[in-house]
Amino acid sequence: MVATAEKAPPGTTAVKRIGLGGGLLIALGAVAVLAFLSIALGSRSVTLQTVLDAFFDPTATSPDLTVIRDMRVPRTLLAIVVGTALGLGGTLLQGVARNPLADPGIMGINSGAALAIVGGIMLIGVQSAAGYVWFAFAGAGIATVLVYGLAATGRDGATPVKLALAGAAVTAVFGSVTSAIVLSNVDALNEMRFWQVGALSGRFMPVFWQLAPFLVIASLIALFAGRPLNTLALGDDVARALGQPVALTRTVLFALIAVLCGAATAAAGPIAFLGLMVPHLARFICGPDYRWILPYSALLGPVLLLACDIAGRVVVAPGELQVGVVIGVVGAPVFIALARFRRLVQL
Amino acid sequence: MRRRTLLSSLTALTAAALVLTGCGAKAKDDPSPAGGAWSYTAGDGKTYTADKTPKRIIAHAYAAKALMEFGIKPVGIYADGKVGADVGLKGVDFTGVTILGEEWGKIDAEKAVTLAPDLIVADWWPVEKVYSGQEEGVEDSAKKLAELADVVGPAQGDSIVGVIEGYAKLAESLGADPSVIAAARGKFEEAKTRFQAATAAKPNLTALAIGPYDNTYAIAVPKYAPELLDFQKWGLKVIDPQKPDPEFPYWESLSFENADKYQPDVLLFDDRNHPGNQEKLAAQPIAKSIKAYAAGAMTTWPAYWLHTYSDYTAQLDRLTAFIQGADENIGD
Repeated sequence: MVATAEKAPPGTTAVKRIGLGGGLLIALGAVAVLAFLSIALGSRSVTLQTVLDAFFDPTATSPDLTVIRDMRVPRTLLAIVVGTALGLGGTLLQGVARNPLADPGIMGINSGAALAIVGGIMLIGVQSAAGYVWFAFAGAGIATVLVYGLAATGRDGATPVKLALAGAAVTAVFGSVTSAIVLSNVDALNEMRFWQVGALSGRFMPVFWQLAPFLVIASLIALFAGRPLNTLALGDDVARALGQPVALTRTVLFALIAVLCGAATAAAGPIAFLGLMVPHLARFICGPDYRWILPYSALLGPVLLLACDIAGRVVVAPGELQVGVVIGVVGAPVFIALARFRRLVQL
Repeated sequence: MRRRTLLSSLTALTAAALVLTGCGAKAKDDPSPAGGAWSYTAGDGKTYTADKTPKRIIAHAYAAKALMEFGIKPVGIYADGKVGADVGLKGVDFTGVTILGEEWGKIDAEKAVTLAPDLIVADWWPVEKVYSGQEEGVEDSAKKLAELADVVGPAQGDSIVGVIEGYAKLAESLGADPSVIAAARGKFEEAKTRFQAATAAKPNLTALAIGPYDNTYAIAVPKYAPELLDFQKWGLKVIDPQKPDPEFPYWESLSFENADKYQPDVLLFDDRNHPGNQEKLAAQPIAKSIKAYAAGAMTTWPAYWLHTYSDYTAQLDRLTAFIQGADENIGD
């Protein structure tokens, strides 16, 4: 499949490039529009004038403005950085593991974060999103390193099959320890019940500022991973023959994945499906070239996350649905529809 | 307690569908001794008799607390959660009492058999028509308990006082000293009078009973909270939320974006999850738009667990002091 792109006549490639570039601009526009909607719409109805006041009249204060500035803005910013990170993280993971089903859940990242959070609650008694962010981050990182370390031992290094097996094993172990703690600790159970679904609400500016630097920097670096991913996609032997240091590339990419998915999971909980779905959507639009897939993933992630979060706020007003629930409900049928185009699922 | 906890509402949805019609206690109140040495008309309307007064009692933990206040000690109890962690069981000395379960729906029937009970005591829920511990959704072993002896108890209704008096009557039939009961009742009546005086002095004071959790600002519906109905009767204006959740009308659930919908003079937090639920609210920027919160006008309310005069007296005295210091011009 990579070969088709390279064999295409130069003229077509140029046209395609312009088309794909235009598509990126459209996706960027969609992020901007959804970000605005995310600030304007919600379970509380707020007039457009009030939304404008929130930004252009810094002296004004009212409950409406509190909701916009202190609740919806951080939530929207989080949706953008988390969506980007999960989109890119999922793409890197699928590329480096050469596994179309790879997502943060399968690689043990979510279970590592969950275990670290319940551990933090049990041992130290942290009880707020801002408090357990670092635990989640560390847990996700440790899980990634563990999975990669397990997979990398042995003669062939971290092959896709060994990665998947190590991920499943680590997930099972962490999951059962987490269950054991949660079943015996009511505080942990209450926190987990909320965290485990994945949500953007209830996490405010402090959480954003804690994690944004990691998410932004890692996302920027990830955007340049297209070329090595393209080479890896040809298989280890070909990649080696083309002069790529396969093991080193994998290690660097995995470090990026650990930061992206770990920080995103710490910020919003285990958001299912996004990391799985976005790379497939991107591939559907621009084909197998990772140099295009990556920027598309970086924009489609926030588009999906924002859209689902807005939907969750509007459909059950004056209550709210957590974004993790909406993504599951919306994501599953979309993903099945995508998977029906068999071509897409091949890497 | 389980049925009234919003947190468990998702798993209790089927049972909750039955809870829509109201909460009137319909137990017939005519004790008619039918020849036996012991007789008691329970909340389910039936009169139970026995040749001799039951001595070996297994009780739901709250019922046990109610009986123990009047000097009747059960041999075994079952609770809806960890006995040590339940605010409704604080200060109860269960030494010598066998604990048969510390999780809703789970009762160790095998252990119960070895206690050879001759009576089982629990609240009767008139809407669901079932005793605590025998509800829809409990494990089969829990249902087995009802086969060991008669299950009796007073009906839950629209006042905590009714429940306590029901336990007083049961305790008396089981041999409790009437003067102990009268003493507890007397102290409570005094506390109630003080509470009424405090609310009468602040006729415009409004209160909102809340249980914030996760991403939800939950407001208790007094119609389904007998102690809140009592407070209303005794002069405290506990706000009735406008739109109780259709499938679980014990609460109205709002998102935090809408948490300033009601502006009471004081906030009452569900004391079963306090201070955790107050911290949840504190973390929300909207909290400062709730005037009572901003003014620090808040305390807890004894949520769905009161079963004894001594607890009620203590809680009323605490609330009376709070009301005396409250400002009735904070909210709208």
